[in-house]
Amino acid sequence: MDLTRRGFFTATGAAFAASMAFELSSQSSALAVEPASDWKLVNTEERTNVCCYCAGGCGSLCSVRDGELINVEGDPDHPVNKGGLCPKGASMFQLRNIVDPKTREVMKNPGRVTKPMVRRPGASEWEPITWDDAVAEIARKVKETRDATFVETEDGLTVNWTPGIASLGGSQQNSEEEYLITKMMRSLGVVAIDNQARV
Amino acid sequence: MTSHWCDFRNTDVILHCGSNSVENHPVGSKWLNKAHELGAKWIVVDPRYTRTAEMADIYCPIRSGTDIAFYGGMFNYIIERLIEPNLADYLAGKEVPDYNFEYLLNYTNASYLLDPEYDFDVESGLFSGFDEATKSYSNNSWRYQTDSVEEWDTTGAYAWAVADGVPEFTPPVVKHPKRDMTLADPMCVYQQLKNHYTRYDLDTVCNICGMDKETLELVYETYSATAAPGKAGMILYALGQTQHTYGAQNTRAMSVMQLLLGNVGVPGGGVNALRGEPNVQGATDMGMLVNEQPGYLKWANTTDRSSLRKWLESQTNSDGYYTNKPKFMISALKEWFGDAATVDNDYGYDWWPKVPSKKTDPDYTHVSTFELMSQDVIKGFFCWGMNPCHSAPNASNVRRAMANLDWLVVADLVATESATFWKAPDMNPADINTTVYFLPAALIYEKPGIVVNSGRWLQYRYQSLEPWEEAKPDFEMCDLLWTEICRLYEDEDGANPDPILNTKWDYYIDGKIDPRTVAWALNGYRISDSNLAEGKVDLLPSYSKLAADGSTACAMWIYSGFWNNNNAPLDPSAQPVGRRDNNDESGLGLYSNWAFSWPANRRILYNRNSADMNGKPWAADKKLVEWTGEKWDLVDQADFVAANNGVPVPPDDKSFFMLWEQNARLESYGMVDGPLPEFYEPFESPVGENLLNGALSSPCMSFAEYESTKHGDASDYPIVATTYSVTEQWQGGGQTRMCPALVEAMPAQFIEISEELAAEKGIESGDKVRVFNNRGSVEVAAVVTKRVKPLQVHGGQQHLVGLTHHYSWAGVFGTEAATVNDLTPNVVDPNSFTPEYKAFLVNIEKATGGER
Amino acid sequence: MAEKAILFDTSRCTGCHACQIACKCWNVLPSPTRLNENTFSGTHQNPPDLNGATRLIMTYSEADGALPNKPVAWAFGRRSCQHCTDAPCASICPSGTLYVHEESGMVTVDASKCVACHYCVTACPFDVPRYNGMQGKVNKCTGCVDRIEQGIAPACVSTCQPEALSFGDRDEMLAEAEKRLAMLKSRGYEHAVIYGAEEIGGLHVIQVFKYGVEAHGQVLDPKVSPITTLTNIMKPVTGVVAGATVIGLAVMFGLAAGYKRDKLAYNAETEDTISLETGEVIKHGDGQDTESVKEHITCNLPIGKKGGDHE
Repeated sequence: MDLTRRGFFTATGAAFAASMAFELSSQSSALAVEPASDWKLVNTEERTNVCCYCAGGCGSLCSVRDGELINVEGDPDHPVNKGGLCPKGASMFQLRNIVDPKTREVMKNPGRVTKPMVRRPGASEWEPITWDDAVAEIARKVKETRDATFVETEDGLTVNWTPGIASLGGSQQNSEEEYLITKMMRSLGVVAIDNQARV
Repeated sequence: MTSHWCDFRNTDVILHCGSNSVENHPVGSKWLNKAHELGAKWIVVDPRYTRTAEMADIYCPIRSGTDIAFYGGMFNYIIERLIEPNLADYLAGKEVPDYNFEYLLNYTNASYLLDPEYDFDVESGLFSGFDEATKSYSNNSWRYQTDSVEEWDTTGAYAWAVADGVPEFTPPVVKHPKRDMTLADPMCVYQQLKNHYTRYDLDTVCNICGMDKETLELVYETYSATAAPGKAGMILYALGQTQHTYGAQNTRAMSVMQLLLGNVGVPGGGVNALRGEPNVQGATDMGMLVNEQPGYLKWANTTDRSSLRKWLESQTNSDGYYTNKPKFMISALKEWFGDAATVDNDYGYDWWPKVPSKKTDPDYTHVSTFELMSQDVIKGFFCWGMNPCHSAPNASNVRRAMANLDWLVVADLVATESATFWKAPDMNPADINTTVYFLPAALIYEKPGIVVNSGRWLQYRYQSLEPWEEAKPDFEMCDLLWTEICRLYEDEDGANPDPILNTKWDYYIDGKIDPRTVAWALNGYRISDSNLAEGKVDLLPSYSKLAADGSTACAMWIYSGFWNNNNAPLDPSAQPVGRRDNNDESGLGLYSNWAFSWPANRRILYNRNSADMNGKPWAADKKLVEWTGEKWDLVDQADFVAANNGVPVPPDDKSFFMLWEQNARLESYGMVDGPLPEFYEPFESPVGENLLNGALSSPCMSFAEYESTKHGDASDYPIVATTYSVTEQWQGGGQTRMCPALVEAMPAQFIEISEELAAEKGIESGDKVRVFNNRGSVEVAAVVTKRVKPLQVHGGQQHLVGLTHHYSWAGVFGTEAATVNDLTPNVVDPNSFTPEYKAFLVNIEKATGGER
Repeated sequence: MAEKAILFDTSRCTGCHACQIACKCWNVLPSPTRLNENTFSGTHQNPPDLNGATRLIMTYSEADGALPNKPVAWAFGRRSCQHCTDAPCASICPSGTLYVHEESGMVTVDASKCVACHYCVTACPFDVPRYNGMQGKVNKCTGCVDRIEQGIAPACVSTCQPEALSFGDRDEMLAEAEKRLAMLKSRGYEHAVIYGAEEIGGLHVIQVFKYGVEAHGQVLDPKVSPITTLTNIMKPVTGVVAGATVIGLAVMFGLAAGYKRDKLAYNAETEDTISLETGEVIKHGDGQDTESVKEHITCNLPIGKKGGDHE
């Protein structure tokens, strides 16, 4: 996938650094103007993204090195936020990685759940489940509930609805996902489909 | 939003009412500051002195739940001070510098004559047409008198409507309304409006709302100064306006205000709903709502939309752009069902579920969903990144309802309150037989896709890296589930499998589900030259190419044109949605070459209204469109018919062409609870009477009859409460509570209390306070502040408190807290079915052992 | 490179905390992660003060408003290092941990050199430096000189949505501050004032205050402690011998918990090296009153007096 964003730190940043090197050369030789090896964003690739909080649509830049997220900050080219981010946007890095207060090392966010889980009837805790099993079980339950509650006609009118299932949410998803959720639910006959826009 | 974030800077007066945008939509702050520094006046009307109020010039307090009294007073002020004194002069051809009569007369329905039966009865607080038994209105008497009728010319402009492949339907008839351009006829909308709002004088409004008269008058004077031609005022609102039993009437009121002031469609104007979720605009566009279909079309139902023919006949506008609805509808069905959709089977329309819509049918929206769970009607539930156990009103009722489910699927990042409802402090897991599946979701930067901001900009999110461990994008989850469900229905017997098996699901590239193919579907394509399964697509340039004969497929007509480059259909950066040119050629911050703004890359909706009847901009330095004498000079994409088959169309008064009458509605027959915004007290009101009419609360509000709603009286719960968000946390908290820096910056749920109330109750900042009503009791930390003050209401002192609502039991790094939405009532607006979070009653006391 | 400065304009600040958060994220600083670990200050000011893992906080103070139609004066402040021109912390820092970034004028940090002497804590007129535990490293705003060197503004500045923070040549920031001040005065904010132009030799954080200095959480008329003036002559060996490592000859004490780490000090003016245990001059430059030096060091540097250590 092509990067639309120009490499700000690699292109613009380097150009700026070069001009600064010239400016500083008469004053000090101590300043390392090339990205030092400890420069946080050395050898990172950037991709643009859009904030996951309010509907401002602020642009963000995700810097990635070796497949891991190094930094997230505002996209300075974005006309709406021009590099700025609110406190929530400024913390988007932490959705994936946080700093361990003990070691001060960056680690995976332990609050996030990254494997499927199931809670069985009456149980007081979660148990792990594989994706395959989860999908098979959910599909089976969807079919059972649909088959048990489906109404094909009412007063002679074809209605094809499934009153027994509801679907809630969508404002967090990308638009393509919203369409797929809608399409899946409606084709199942679900009428109780709603999202955050309702509240 | 009718405009967009960067347009804020073009305004002359900013009015915040029902929003705290500096806090909850911080991106706007930059642009508000710019306007302010260019000399704009800034007004904040809010129960609390918010962070937004600190930025403003004028802060005007208001009792939660009394917005329509405030707006009605504004209408009355505008009519008394600006319209009435100048109308005769204007009609006599004199220059009126302070008021834009040209806009009012030509672009709104002020001059339209209403049905002679139209009426409002102050004593009962009811408009004409009310049926006591069903507590609902018939809108027959709210419509216009007809001057003449005109039929569609199906041999000329409307020949497409009878072409091969187009389902048969009877085209609508244009009923040209009667008008009185002198505004003298007592049945004209203007006269009715004037009469209606004379009751809303300054003293009455202050007595209801609780601000002092000088402040109110200053607000009205400052804001109504934008009535001058060339001046713009902007209203910014959010949930503070919508989360009421009359929330939709609040938005109507704001629209009426903006139309009276000529502020719609001009740079720096508009009615701007600041939307609060990253893709809630997209979800609304997508029609992820009971009665909606993608692209603001209405979903099939059992009454006026019970067949395709009925749909076409009830939904197709007689005039204006929505005469094209059949094209959008047939294209949507073709995208949905593909080859299985033919003209002979009504393009598969009957495979769609029809929403029960008789007055006696149950409602299926958000709040009623939980009633249906309590009644064992709904047995299976999908929660896609939404957390109703935290954020739905009367949340303890929600928890108990969900315990009736057979199964629940939650797709989210963290184990939210909804995923763990069986672990809530007041639940016993052993008694709950619900099977709960948690599906781990990918983060925004772990998947690609489109997101739509509040200014209707479609932007692309590139995938930066792989999801952690087994987390998956929602599109992948959907595909896995759908594929398996289809397999079951192919292999086994079951209830009517046709709707499932005829659904087209061909969104794959190289055998892998790929959202880019969904983007093609949303944009629309010509069917003859496309084969999505083979990765071949002939994308349409825009929705103007959609057809009603089954030759085009398009899931979302309003987006059409956002992904239309056939040279690189798989490369988002080569599509309009991926544009990144941030030059502002307009000088007005339109940024027309950045991403794509629906519809048709239009940045400011209704922009025809930025110019006068001759097509000259009201403000020469803020030109969006201009008639040169020969053609339209377009800085923004025209939101009107600028040319017909290449021939320029000279300026006329058809300035709101999405409505059949093509003029904006000061009075609207489209609302279920009244054609004009009328003030009613909230469901739970601290006062015993409505000072403006004989109905205490909205006669049409829904669900007040639910047993779970538990109305509380002011005698037990004398304090008005409202709920809100802080900038450091977000909504149900699922995401922000997993970010330690945000938890640290705002670690608690709190209640803001005035110094006066705190003194009465012996509460100090940091103390634990118990807040309670009939629905629940929660303990939160006290913030005693000067920023909340008691108000003088109905001649007495009225206390207000405000509560944040971001924490609950499922915190990971956060603070365990009670669920504030245990207190909020599950009553809703009858138009939007949005609950009343913003005005309800509580009492408070210092919690036992509640010292800091 | 001209001298740089951060401009903080409270007329634009919305008190949103983004600067505080961006600082944490860019600088890889932790926040508490245990359930219920954070305490609530009872205001928006959280955490209530700087700490060993927090280099910047927003401050909030409420007073009755003096302007018509503004019943409250809610002052947002930004509490962090002010980057003094005559930075007492850098002057006193014996290990070279704190030093003035010559090219920008920002007072930055090389924490790897920190010997936890806590001198800077006492020296700072703004009560800014903090430690991550008594024996940890100093924690204070670095001015994001890593970013500055790459041509990017400090993290707090970049993230500031309402553009209350800006970064550039100090002269330009001062000129902009004057404009902003005039605008505030014209809006009726009669206590509006510029801060940082002259204080401590001129700060590299220029601030425009809506409601006067103290409302925004700053020190009225800050003074360099006489202690610091005295010890200003004490230059650390490691600071002077640039690039060289003088093993075992770092500096001063870590007085915390009876911990004494190094026992030698260096007087840059006289070039004496002094034993702090005995007060003897071990290596003479010229005649220095070793008694007074010793007395000063041992008696007047009550380390750990100021709170805020973060564990």
